[in-house]
Amino acid sequence: MGVRRWLAGLAAGAPASVFVVPGRGAREKVDELRLDSRLHFTESPRATTILLLIGEIPDALASAARSIHDSMPRPRATACWRAGTSAPVPSGFPDAVMVDVREEVGTVLTRLQSALLRGDHASEPDLLPDIDPAPWRGVGPHGQGGKGMTGGVPYGRALAERAHDRDGLELDQLPVRIGPLFPPLPAGLVLDLKVQGDVVQEVSLGDNPFLSFDAAVVGTAAGPNPFELALSQPVPISVLELARARHHLVWLAGALELHGVAALGYRARRLAAEIAPERAGAVRALGRLLEGTRSLAWGTAGVGVTDGASLAEVPPGPVSRAAGIARDARTSDPSYLSLGFEVLVQEEGDARARWRQRLSEALQALELAGRAAARWSTPSGRVEAPRGSLTAESAPAAELVALIPALLPGLDWGDAVTTIVSLDLDLEEAASRHAASAV
Amino acid sequence: MTAQLGLPASLALVGSALVLGAYVVEVLDHAIGRVVSGHFEPVGRTLTIPIHRAALLLLQQTTTTERPDAPLWLIAPAFLAGLAAAGLAIVPLGPSGALANVEAGIVWFGAVGALVMVAVYAHGWAPNSVMPLIGGYRFVALALSYEMPLALVLIAAALPARALALPVIVASQADLWNVVRQPLGLPLYLIAGLGLACRRPLDFADSADLAGGTLVEASGVARLAWSAAKSAMLVAVAAIGATVFLGGWLGPWLPGPAWVVVKTLALLALLVTAGHLVARPRLERFVVIAWVGLIPLALVNVFLSGLLLLL
Repeated sequence: MGVRRWLAGLAAGAPASVFVVPGRGAREKVDELRLDSRLHFTESPRATTILLLIGEIPDALASAARSIHDSMPRPRATACWRAGTSAPVPSGFPDAVMVDVREEVGTVLTRLQSALLRGDHASEPDLLPDIDPAPWRGVGPHGQGGKGMTGGVPYGRALAERAHDRDGLELDQLPVRIGPLFPPLPAGLVLDLKVQGDVVQEVSLGDNPFLSFDAAVVGTAAGPNPFELALSQPVPISVLELARARHHLVWLAGALELHGVAALGYRARRLAAEIAPERAGAVRALGRLLEGTRSLAWGTAGVGVTDGASLAEVPPGPVSRAAGIARDARTSDPSYLSLGFEVLVQEEGDARARWRQRLSEALQALELAGRAAARWSTPSGRVEAPRGSLTAESAPAAELVALIPALLPGLDWGDAVTTIVSLDLDLEEAASRHAASAV
Repeated sequence: MTAQLGLPASLALVGSALVLGAYVVEVLDHAIGRVVSGHFEPVGRTLTIPIHRAALLLLQQTTTTERPDAPLWLIAPAFLAGLAAAGLAIVPLGPSGALANVEAGIVWFGAVGALVMVAVYAHGWAPNSVMPLIGGYRFVALALSYEMPLALVLIAAALPARALALPVIVASQADLWNVVRQPLGLPLYLIAGLGLACRRPLDFADSADLAGGTLVEASGVARLAWSAAKSAMLVAVAAIGATVFLGGWLGPWLPGPAWVVVKTLALLALLVTAGHLVARPRLERFVVIAWVGLIPLALVNVFLSGLLLLL
């Protein structure tokens, strides 16, 4: 035991390995936590010691989180931070450690990890029974599947079927479900794929877990979102534009992490946290660096191309403007017109055009915020939010999510992830107008 | 030199070079990452953080998956570390030679490069899981794109020395280092080396879009072993690069082995910096870059080097 204690002492200096389950109202809180160097956000449950539930967790996410929990190595623990929401304590996590205050999250989690490693905090047992997802239902003499060589659904897992690939060959096509907590993708996104090798052939979207929330509380958990406020009342333009710049920089940070340059992602994240019109120079410098190394272009050019036809249902926003559609709700606001606001566009409509579009819109937003002085927005029932045109009845994220099934087929997995991330999806926002439109 | 040291001492030396090398790579990676992100921290913390992280992984349970190929999973990191050791052992530290004096050192390292594919694919195959398998296949699909330029630039470097042994190649650089004599050689070698060691930006098998690729299912000691083996492979790439292109032990003031270490560290810093500044290209794009750009350039390099010898 001496060696173990000695190692535990050494490991006390390591950042806490945390796998985040972001619930409703958690998105911005997670972005703040990512700046805390005492925390290490893992991309696999296998590298995780602490499962961190943030905000109000919908049932579908909670059950996915329980499987994640059981695939974490021991010693392991669960922590829960309700992030200022009135969320109930998530059921099904009996041993979860509660954290109440934002400032305490880093301290509590590092202490929890140390206590786990020293053996002072008991490692949590499995939450789910260790059984197959479905019983074996073979019919053959040796228990093989249904009819024929490859029929049947043994243990609830469908076998590969045969289908033509893009070169006209007949190859195995395997059904795979990704999500709802696959770290490179937005939390809550469930994709039912048919893949040949790593080439996506068919996509259908699973249910959005955030749809399970009751209509009465929709939109309240996220706190004061300036764009939601601007639907019904005047909001200072500087507030709106700084929020827009912050949003785009946080998105950029996530995209940079996906493309393997997490250190540059951190820089974008910190710029977002310290956002002010004076930081425009630093944002511009980051943009120049990204263009200068060329490789982000090599990772995104020609990927996930959208055109006018595929964007017909999508409200105006950075995604459609990146495809050359020069529409922006701000052009109908007299306050913006008095600032000399002009719509920025890109032509290509691919993932590279989308990140260029967001970067230039972030710079434009900083510049507008710097000049806005005491101007206030004019409420008209339509607000240009960072993902696009927002109204009381529709949120842009819902239509953006709906683009996925048409965009992904034919792409290899890397390009598929690049495409999804370039759309800047948010499943919580996508669900936010569901109740409103159903009523 | 093996004869002077004896086998146990040689093995111990290579083993400690592997561990120390992996540690140095982690420190460099962390330090350069902090510089790029503009998020500085005390030097002491930079030096100790790989140790803290390693201790954490040593204390974690090594989990398993449903019906994995357990022996293969166990062997893969050991195999990769073994390949890194095979690369490091032939690096000459002075005129008297290396730990293992291989007559055809260039061919030896080419063979090491080819076998890396087996280790990475085994590591992707073994866990019986989707993302690791995609990672493993990716490496197989790309392996030739790394191995061809690597082998070609190494052959070109052997031409002026008229020998395949690394000590002779170092001696042949006494007047002019190969990095100047064959300006295409080192850049091509480093790109191929990044791919071979599966490091950012060419970490296709272990990349973020696969949530860690072949590493997704690895926990505890298994995760530590694979990460350390990859870092050790990068050290081997850098050490061979320093030998073949930067004149190995040659240099004033310092003793020969010190020069080898300094030059290896310089190349490591360059490789790690590239990983923090350059984003991962698209897989398809990289294959095109490799076959339309890197491999023809490597051939041009061979032809030019040969031509210069004939003139």
